[in-house]
Amino acid sequence: MRKLVLLSFLIYAFGYSQNKQVLYDFSNLPQTLLLNPGAEVSHKFHVGLPLFSQLSVQAGFTGFSAYDIFADDGIDINNKIRDAVNNYGTTEFMAVNQQLEIVSAGFRLNETNYLSFGYYQEFDFLAKIPRDIVDLFYEGNTDINRRYSINKLASRAELFGVLHVGLSKRVNSKWQVGGRFKIYSSVFNVNSKLNSGSFFTEQGSNNSYNQHLDNVNFLMQTSGVFIDNGEDVDASYFKSKLLFGGNLGIGLDIGFTHQLKKQWIVTGSILDIGFVNYSKNVESYKVSGDYEVEGFQLNFDPDNPEDYWNDLKAEFDNSIVSDTLYKSYVLLRPVKLNGSISYSFGQSYNDCRFLINPNTYINKIGFHLYSTVGAVHSYLAATLFYERRLSKYLQTKITYTADPYSNSNVGLGIATQLGIFNAYFMADNLLSLNNLYNAKSASFQLGINFSIQTKN
Amino acid sequence: MNINLVFKIKKYLIVALLVAIVIQGCTKDVDFKQLDDASIHTTYLLTLLYTNLTVVNFLDEFNNEINFTQDVIQVQISDESRGYLEKIEFTVVTENTFDRNFILNTTFYDEFSQPIYQVTPEINIAENSGELTTIIEIPEEDIHVIYDAKYFGFTMILLPSADGSSLNLSDTSTLTIKSSVKLYFNYRDL
Repeated sequence: MRKLVLLSFLIYAFGYSQNKQVLYDFSNLPQTLLLNPGAEVSHKFHVGLPLFSQLSVQAGFTGFSAYDIFADDGIDINNKIRDAVNNYGTTEFMAVNQQLEIVSAGFRLNETNYLSFGYYQEFDFLAKIPRDIVDLFYEGNTDINRRYSINKLASRAELFGVLHVGLSKRVNSKWQVGGRFKIYSSVFNVNSKLNSGSFFTEQGSNNSYNQHLDNVNFLMQTSGVFIDNGEDVDASYFKSKLLFGGNLGIGLDIGFTHQLKKQWIVTGSILDIGFVNYSKNVESYKVSGDYEVEGFQLNFDPDNPEDYWNDLKAEFDNSIVSDTLYKSYVLLRPVKLNGSISYSFGQSYNDCRFLINPNTYINKIGFHLYSTVGAVHSYLAATLFYERRLSKYLQTKITYTADPYSNSNVGLGIATQLGIFNAYFMADNLLSLNNLYNAKSASFQLGINFSIQTKN
Repeated sequence: MNINLVFKIKKYLIVALLVAIVIQGCTKDVDFKQLDDASIHTTYLLTLLYTNLTVVNFLDEFNNEINFTQDVIQVQISDESRGYLEKIEFTVVTENTFDRNFILNTTFYDEFSQPIYQVTPEINIAENSGELTTIIEIPEEDIHVIYDAKYFGFTMILLPSADGSSLNLSDTSTLTIKSSVKLYFNYRDL
């Protein structure tokens, strides 16, 4: 039952990509420090509203949208499924990432250093599904000599908690650098990557066809999925695993902000340089080998009857070896890269004093690149953005992103600062808002903080 | 009108518009009940049986001609695909250099070795026939027997010669049989 509960959870929750292009470097929000520990901060201190300082959800599938299949348009659903399969690329991926900040806080140590820390829970899922697998399921294997390959089949799912502490330091008037140390505690992990092998049918010599499993190498590692009998999987189980009772790992984020010229700023960050050591409740499956079969060769020899079925099965088991492994394993965290360049313009006007403030600008335009690099999957997204300070209390940002899901992803963020109250909401794929079912991906982040700004 | 007031009103109108865009997310009509009508037709091709029979297979220990020979395969077919398998199509390729006619008969047996189904039609293999392809289909209403069967029995019947002659050990003729099966699935109730 416990296995079932965890597997059900796995099936229901998928995710991964984690591009937060609207939040990145936006409005001095404390959460920008999680995307760039070297971001500029203007707070004396900040405290996130516990459990509400950041909720972030992202989901997407590059293959097709729900509307492609379920549109109420009078077209036979089977034709729509066929069209979706026909348009399926060589490999498509499905991803969801969810992050919930439990606690978040920070304070200024002195004029140049800002210390921030917190704890968040994160869930990641990614599945890369090659077209060969889809075709094998949808059409079958009657295409002689076609190789159905699992080479690009990969998946990853993980639930973990992260305790972090970071320092953002102003080095001089042009440079701000920062780093963040993280401790990961993984509740469960499932991953399968670097698989190889193919299945194909060719004309045979002794029989009409010869069927092959060629160079099969499949590995699925799991940790925390198959639980020891003595452990109960309930709320306290998840709590203890999230709070450092799980498989532990460490990581590092580094980042910078550089004032290139008065109105030009360059930023960059590398996140999650680290690893997790999986040693608890490890159960992994490995399948490898080569096998070919022409069928059952009947001998029609009543004096020497043969057990054809079991002989074939034994031959298969000897050729394709299946092992269950209980050895601990180490996985590097997928590294995320951010980089941006921006230009600020339009000096702000102080309504009360009837003065132009020469050091603050109300507009910012720029370009942001985001990439993940990992053994399972790599991802690249490019964003153009425009940020505008509408008032002392309100700031907005509009983004236009091209990524593997879409070339026309428009995002919007709003942040408000009323006294010490700071709230933000951001979402992307706004062009799909008139029909959410037609969106191949969607994401939002929202949160509430309390902060005191330093005087400019 | 105060110009600053105009600017402020404009700002808040923009914000209101943006907020309205964000919160007015809507959807066009979709019908998830269509899934009830979805079906995926998939065909799998499997290599099956083959044999190469010579005169030895039709002679007894005293080298007397026997009029049939048999073989049997014990099978373990999983029930998982029951309900989705719509059609089974066997393709049998024969080549006979004997001066004799043969009949290949296939029968399914239950766990008590009782016959429960005979594949029809039987395959007639004419004397000295070149490569012949016979396609046999098991109709949908009979497919359940595949799951009930525990043994597949094959009987090769040697028909009497027209001139009354018998096979002898010096005969170098062969009868080859090759076969494959196509399994037609219809995945419904996805």
